[in-house]
Amino acid sequence: MSVLQVKNLSHSYGGNTPFINDAVNNVSFTIEQGEMIGIIGHTGSGKSTLVQHLNGILKPTKGEILIDDSNIWDKPKEIRKIRSKVGLVFQYPEYQLFEETVFKDIAFGPKNMGVSGDELKKRVLDTCRLIGVKDEYLEKSPFDLSGGEKRRVAIAGVMAMRPEIIVFDEPTAGLDPQGRQEIIKVINEYRRAFNATVIIISHSMEDMAQMADKLLVMSKGEVVMFDKTEEVFKQGDKLREIGLNVPIVTRVFDRLREKGLNVPNNVFTVENAVEALKKIKAGDRNA
Amino acid sequence: MSNIIEIKNVTYNYIEDEVEYTAVNNVSLNIEKGSFTVILGHNGSGKSTLAKMLNGLNKPTSGDILVDGINTRDEENEFLIKKKVGMVFQNPDNQLVASIVEEDVAFGPENLGLDPKVIRQRVDEALKAVGMYEFRNSTPHHLSGGQKQRIAIAGIIALEPECIVLDEPTAMLDPKGRQEIINTILRLNKEKGITVVLITHYMEEAEMADRVLVMNDGEFIADGTPKEIFKNVKMLKSVGLDVPQTTELLYALNQNGIAVPTDVLSIEETADAIMHYLEEN
Repeated sequence: MSVLQVKNLSHSYGGNTPFINDAVNNVSFTIEQGEMIGIIGHTGSGKSTLVQHLNGILKPTKGEILIDDSNIWDKPKEIRKIRSKVGLVFQYPEYQLFEETVFKDIAFGPKNMGVSGDELKKRVLDTCRLIGVKDEYLEKSPFDLSGGEKRRVAIAGVMAMRPEIIVFDEPTAGLDPQGRQEIIKVINEYRRAFNATVIIISHSMEDMAQMADKLLVMSKGEVVMFDKTEEVFKQGDKLREIGLNVPIVTRVFDRLREKGLNVPNNVFTVENAVEALKKIKAGDRNA
Repeated sequence: MSNIIEIKNVTYNYIEDEVEYTAVNNVSLNIEKGSFTVILGHNGSGKSTLAKMLNGLNKPTSGDILVDGINTRDEENEFLIKKKVGMVFQNPDNQLVASIVEEDVAFGPENLGLDPKVIRQRVDEALKAVGMYEFRNSTPHHLSGGQKQRIAIAGIIALEPECIVLDEPTAMLDPKGRQEIINTILRLNKEKGITVVLITHYMEEAEMADRVLVMNDGEFIADGTPKEIFKNVKMLKSVGLDVPQTTELLYALNQNGIAVPTDVLSIEETADAIMHYLEEN
């Protein structure tokens, strides 16, 4: 079942001025329930503008957004309701922490949705358990935590609203490798626990190869590819034309093919690569 | 070769909630003039604390740091030390002070009280060195992250430092911006002979260094060429670090009975190593 449909969406900044600028231009796509979608594109390609439409932070200049088959702008006064269905985690979300305690910060979203009392407490605690925020942190000030912990608390604040669709704008930016792996794990846990649909903007092709079912590729405000991750990474030349690239291991395999080795063209993780080379080795023995 | 920086038994302690912590623990090390050194380590390993001591922004709790032979504790030479060792930080927006690019780059040399003609010349040269000369009359906030970070670097270059310390200068940039900064750093090092100390979480950036240092719990636990360091996949993972994907592939192949060498890094070398193995076996 399609959970999200974007139809002919355009967004222009600075309308009615000489500086009018089309950030997103006639974009259409459909996302199915439970999918993990990666959005890639260089800076200024319109990724962030696009995702800010998905929960009604930006209003389309043209076109429409359908969540569960209803247009989110049908009743403009109720647009806030859509934010409990579609959660958006901005870049550097830890800069948006503001409450006195970790508990209050995580509780802020669900509280605004009308969750209260024991149910609110349970929401916060369940979310903390899911993403590995320790109970003893709950009464601490969020500002006393380390960078990686702050980010997890900020993400927990969005997850506590239990959105069916959760959108992350570069969730691992600025973290060390361990911090990056932890955030990826947290995202996977949430997806599994609530069968949620996940959309991630990322610059790391290696992370995308590991996580995404499908990739939506943007360039100059348009969607230039929307296909299975494997199919997108087969098109290295097209990606390079728009300032992107394929994962490093895929580039190694492209090089092997240029050297005349008969390797498959759908290798984009280290695991795929090892399997492919094991087969070749076994094949050589049999020959 | 002589040393631009000498770190002698340096410890740095700080107090938080009345508890004393050690960020840097009895570290000794020399940085050679003209070298390109990368420091790796997870968040909280002490890298940034150490970096801030290299030009006297932080003073060691015990031990000494000498910059070109001058102790960073020597208050009379504070400006001289900051002129010799320039710092570039993570967030470009926090480092720009003026509303026009060339004025921003001129800020440092103006504070040195240099002759206006010399300032003009230094600003132009610095902007050319980072490839931003054509943007000299632009407004920084209209530039991309990578461009802004290059302006921040130009502001340091205009002081004609002997050494630049960069603390995760690419962490907030996209791949294109990151590549711009890395190319700029390499050019300053190779063409102008400026000593570079680069702190980063991106393993690909470490591949270009002459020397890689790994920090963990306030100490250096490894010191070698990139190939020597990345070969040690287990050690790096045990301290929360990663390896370039090429190394990860070669390592995984070895664990699966395909004995390729693990001390190569580039895509080309990796492909060659695999081809060579398959031809031999």
